[in-house]
Amino acid sequence: MKLRKYLVRALHRLQKGPGYTYKELLVWYCDNTNTHGPKRIIKEGPKKKLIWFFLTLLFASLVFWQWGILINTYLSYNVTSSLSIGFKTMKFPAVTVCNANPFKYSEVKPLLKELDRLIEAALERILQPGNSSDNVSPPLDLELWNQIPLVLIDEHDKDNPIILDIFESNQTAAARGGPMGRGLCHGRAQLPAVCPQCSQPGSESCTYRNFSSAAQAVTEWYILQSTSILSKVPLHDRIRMGYQAEDMILACLYGAEPCNYKNFTQIYHPDHGNCYIFNWGMDEEALNSSNPGAEFGLKLILDISQQDYIPYLSSAAGARLMLHQQKSFPFLKDQGIYAMAGTETSIGVLVDELERMGYPYSDCTVNGSDVPVQNLYSQYNTSYSIQACLRSCFQNHMVEICGCGHYMFPLPEGVNYCNNEDFPGWAYCYSSLRSSIKQRQICIDSCKETCNDTQYKMTISMADWPSEASEDWIFHILSYERDMSTNVTLDRNGIIKLNIYFQEYNYRTISESAATTIVWLLSSLGGQFGFWMGGSVLCLIEFGEIIIDSLWITIINVISWAKGLQQRRARARYPDAPPTVSELVEAHTNLGFQPEPGPAGPALPPEPGTPPPNYDSLRVQPLDTLSPDSDTD
Amino acid sequence: AAAAPGKKITARLKRTLPVRGPQAPTLSELMRWYCLNTNTHGCRRIVVSRGRLRRLLWILLTLSAVGLILWQCAELLMNYYSASVSVTVQFQKLPFPAVTICNINPYKYSAMKEYLSELDKETKKALETFYGFSEGKSKVRRSVDDWNSTGSDFFQQIPLLKVEDFSRTATDLRSGQKRRVEGSVFHKDSSIVNGDSNDIIGFQLCDANNSSECALYTFSSGVNAIQEWYKLHYMNIMAQIPLETKEKLSYSADDLILTCFFDGLSCDKRHFTRFHHPLHGNCYTFNSGENGTILSTSTGGSEYGLHVVLYIDEADYNPFLVTSTGAKIIVHDQNEYPFIEDIGTEIETAAATSIGMHFTRSRKLSKPYSDCTETGADIPVDNLYNKSYSLQICLHSCFQKAMVESCGCAQYAQPLPAGAEYCNYKKNPNWMYCYYRLHEKFVKEQLGCQQICKDACSFKEWALTTSIAQWPSTVSEDWMLRVLSWDKGQKLNKKLNKTDLANLMVFYKDLNERFISENPANTLVILLSNFGGQLGLWMSCSVVCVIEIVEVFLIDSLSIVLRRQWQRAKKWWSHRQRGGAQAGHPQGQGHANPACLDEDLPTFTTALRLPLPQDSPLPRTPPPNYSTLRLESAFSEQLPDTLELGH
Repeated sequence: MKLRKYLVRALHRLQKGPGYTYKELLVWYCDNTNTHGPKRIIKEGPKKKLIWFFLTLLFASLVFWQWGILINTYLSYNVTSSLSIGFKTMKFPAVTVCNANPFKYSEVKPLLKELDRLIEAALERILQPGNSSDNVSPPLDLELWNQIPLVLIDEHDKDNPIILDIFESNQTAAARGGPMGRGLCHGRAQLPAVCPQCSQPGSESCTYRNFSSAAQAVTEWYILQSTSILSKVPLHDRIRMGYQAEDMILACLYGAEPCNYKNFTQIYHPDHGNCYIFNWGMDEEALNSSNPGAEFGLKLILDISQQDYIPYLSSAAGARLMLHQQKSFPFLKDQGIYAMAGTETSIGVLVDELERMGYPYSDCTVNGSDVPVQNLYSQYNTSYSIQACLRSCFQNHMVEICGCGHYMFPLPEGVNYCNNEDFPGWAYCYSSLRSSIKQRQICIDSCKETCNDTQYKMTISMADWPSEASEDWIFHILSYERDMSTNVTLDRNGIIKLNIYFQEYNYRTISESAATTIVWLLSSLGGQFGFWMGGSVLCLIEFGEIIIDSLWITIINVISWAKGLQQRRARARYPDAPPTVSELVEAHTNLGFQPEPGPAGPALPPEPGTPPPNYDSLRVQPLDTLSPDSDTD
Repeated sequence: AAAAPGKKITARLKRTLPVRGPQAPTLSELMRWYCLNTNTHGCRRIVVSRGRLRRLLWILLTLSAVGLILWQCAELLMNYYSASVSVTVQFQKLPFPAVTICNINPYKYSAMKEYLSELDKETKKALETFYGFSEGKSKVRRSVDDWNSTGSDFFQQIPLLKVEDFSRTATDLRSGQKRRVEGSVFHKDSSIVNGDSNDIIGFQLCDANNSSECALYTFSSGVNAIQEWYKLHYMNIMAQIPLETKEKLSYSADDLILTCFFDGLSCDKRHFTRFHHPLHGNCYTFNSGENGTILSTSTGGSEYGLHVVLYIDEADYNPFLVTSTGAKIIVHDQNEYPFIEDIGTEIETAAATSIGMHFTRSRKLSKPYSDCTETGADIPVDNLYNKSYSLQICLHSCFQKAMVESCGCAQYAQPLPAGAEYCNYKKNPNWMYCYYRLHEKFVKEQLGCQQICKDACSFKEWALTTSIAQWPSTVSEDWMLRVLSWDKGQKLNKKLNKTDLANLMVFYKDLNERFISENPANTLVILLSNFGGQLGLWMSCSVVCVIEIVEVFLIDSLSIVLRRQWQRAKKWWSHRQRGGAQAGHPQGQGHANPACLDEDLPTFTTALRLPLPQDSPLPRTPPPNYSTLRLESAFSEQLPDTLELGH
């Protein structure tokens, strides 16, 4: 009961809006609103009224149009970039050094012996086809050969190429291999070297990968074969066969601080064997460098012992090095550079950083957790990078399709590396996967770049080192320190000096900030509204109020109309019916139309200066005039 | 009958929309009315404030607010054409750039023998006479012996000279006689040559038409002098050889490219497009896009880039023209002209050069934000190169144009404009002097080329990280050279030497494309909101206020002034007619005059001045002091007015 009473009272309060017709309401609004246009509509003569009416309409539509543009701009999430360049104390980059050759030849020789004999004999056959010396003392093990043979293809007759297996004298027509895949398209009219791969030995589906150069064919073939052999060797043996830190890193100086091979973290890299990372920041704090110049950088002397290279595996000799961020995996094939033996290589570093804002400003990932690819490099405790993602993506595909993992990438759990014995068709599977555009596109689409992209811009310069005059004593000391013997075990072909230091300006940071913030949006919206109409949020609220008022008027009108209809019907039936309840209600609702009885009543003469205002907001009466309001119910 | 409805309409219009002047009769009234009724904030305080100091303060404040608004809006307008830079990184499949590879030596020396024998003889003789150098006595003897029989008059014109700087005399190479040097002396190497007893080698160029006009070019080192001099004559000779012959004299793709590997697949000479460079002979462009397809890379890393082994036939080098060995490469866009002589990277022999690329694309805003050109179509220099516009192309074309205009022939190192031909001694004996003079002007920016040519608005850049490793390694050298010799095939009858080979790897370090673009910092919408913000901040003003100001200060004040003048004139006229007998009774001024009111509602001030009804004893409420509390009567009176719009 109380609630009902309260509601009715509230309704009555609401009803006491400014005016009881739409016209009154509008005029009241125009006169009292804070927006600039409407006031002028009602102020002056009819012509100006018309002009101002249209001006107000025009401005209002302009405001809404511009608001639309502004909101669109905001929702496009633009960014602005700011650039800063200078020198500051920064973390010295992690430096990974590797030998271009993964294993010491003296160590892996027993494993690769058969393969080497095979390739030597094959080269002999290719280069001197006439005098093939068949009297090799121990017969060649042709098992390796038959898995992935090297063949020559004679393309003199384009339509009917002749395939010539190097160790078999019989020439076979192309028809034997069944569908030839995409091979055979180009190549010289001479004899190109081709290395065919079959999904199953002796099966129909074979692909001939053809090369325009025998050197490439031999290298590729050797890499495939040696990969298969080495993948069977357990990891600790592979590490043992590689270069050891104490043999490779002869001298180290960081700033004025001496360092040695123990400051380097060993990591096994499939391409380059043992790699050593300085300042990786995994166990200890990363080192800072607070001065530019070679004096304050890292100075290294390395020995790559070129005599111990595997001859067919890598033809380029030198150290491979790479600068990267702390706790990131070094992808030497992508970002690494070479350092040549017998030279001093100076590398000035500029850290080029790009700091981006994440979603929704740009499509990047902060730590890779939202990328739908299992990061296989997380077993090294390294952070996410796009290269890691792409390689993991490839390896996952490889495991899915071929059933084994490729030797160059880390393994997912419970999977083995591919080798010729257990997975005879892996090479075919691998090369078709590698050249598949679709697979690459899938990986590109599923991997995202990181939001903070750091690159180390290097200014590389080289000089001969050691000089002829100093050569003797330097080699002597370094050999002595390594082996504690007076024999000189070093030479120009193996020794490398590296200087890595910050340049005078060591950082260039491009950082993004949102071009449009919510503050920007609000101030622009306010600016637009203010510019055209002098309006503010309060004006919008005023407008809303007016709409509520007009709704209320509509309700009243509808009620009264309905009542009138009812009354007319009732009157038609009983011409002198007693007033119904609704009529009484109407009497209430119509109260507003009657001049309100003030406290003094109509006894006072109308005063031309200020007659009593007609609505609540403008009431100047003393407070007690409000009491009849509450009495009305 | 036809005019009647028209008249009716005009009559009705006149009735409903009567033409009436401003309500205020005087300017000060108008101002007061404006200040009280305007939407801006400062003005009302001026009128309302009591006390002179306070009023003055408000006037000052309002004026300074107006000044601030004007200043800030002017700033906003001036900074309208500014650009903000955004950097985006896109990880994607990238188009592989075109890679142009040239041998540093342009033409096979053995094939060029017949064209260059005289020049070489002359050079050797110069070396012997000036420096006492000879490559074996007997040979030089012979060439000196048969000098006179084969001597060409071209070399006679521009001989090498030994200059004694102080005496300004020069010793001629040919005759050995001294002669006086005329004209100005140019030191090519440095402007300051210490006047030691060292003799300076140079050559003299004279205007053929006017032999007193001479310029002497000297060099601090004989190496430079000989090379410059050789090049000068060499260009003369080459200008006379037709292009087809020159292409044959240079290296073929089979000669240069030994092996090729791209993206894990084998490639061959068909992937290379020949491109004849005037100074570098035949160059070969990988992935030139000529057959319509541009290769792209979807994996970064050295295995997936371009990997070529080049054959540099060191023995067949021209000893005077080029003194270094190796190849030159340039990484460029398919639409770009490779300016290999300007920005090429040199490749060493007996080494593997690994070039990691990082791709950056930049885009500037053209006019009015910056002075760059989108296509080069708006630059009054014809593009002589068959490639898209670049600043370099424009400068070269501009120079060539000036060369053809002033010397009558085209310079050898740049393409030919229509209807011109390359300079040579036979046809244009004067060209060298002309060329050197013109080139000097060009370098000093006197030709205006640097002013005409503008930057291109968008450009692609491949940042290269170059590193070198020894190749082939000592243990693999043997088999590698043997197999490569086999690859080279029958054409080569000698075994390859490792100094004849260069290994080159060009690959993407990462597939991140950096795109640096300029965007307009301001749009019209933002400019207007900033205006609105300024107007609102200082004065709570809007466009409506501006219109009001125009209305009040221009239209209304003008009409008031005119009305008063008209009234004065009328008064004067009636005064004259009546002979000044009657003095007009004092009229109520301004809004105090009820006659001035129209049916528009009275403003508060006017209402205040209305005469009070005589019979009102006491005002019930004191009149409120502000106009929002307008008279209640306004309501019922106004309604018909507002309704008029609906009719």
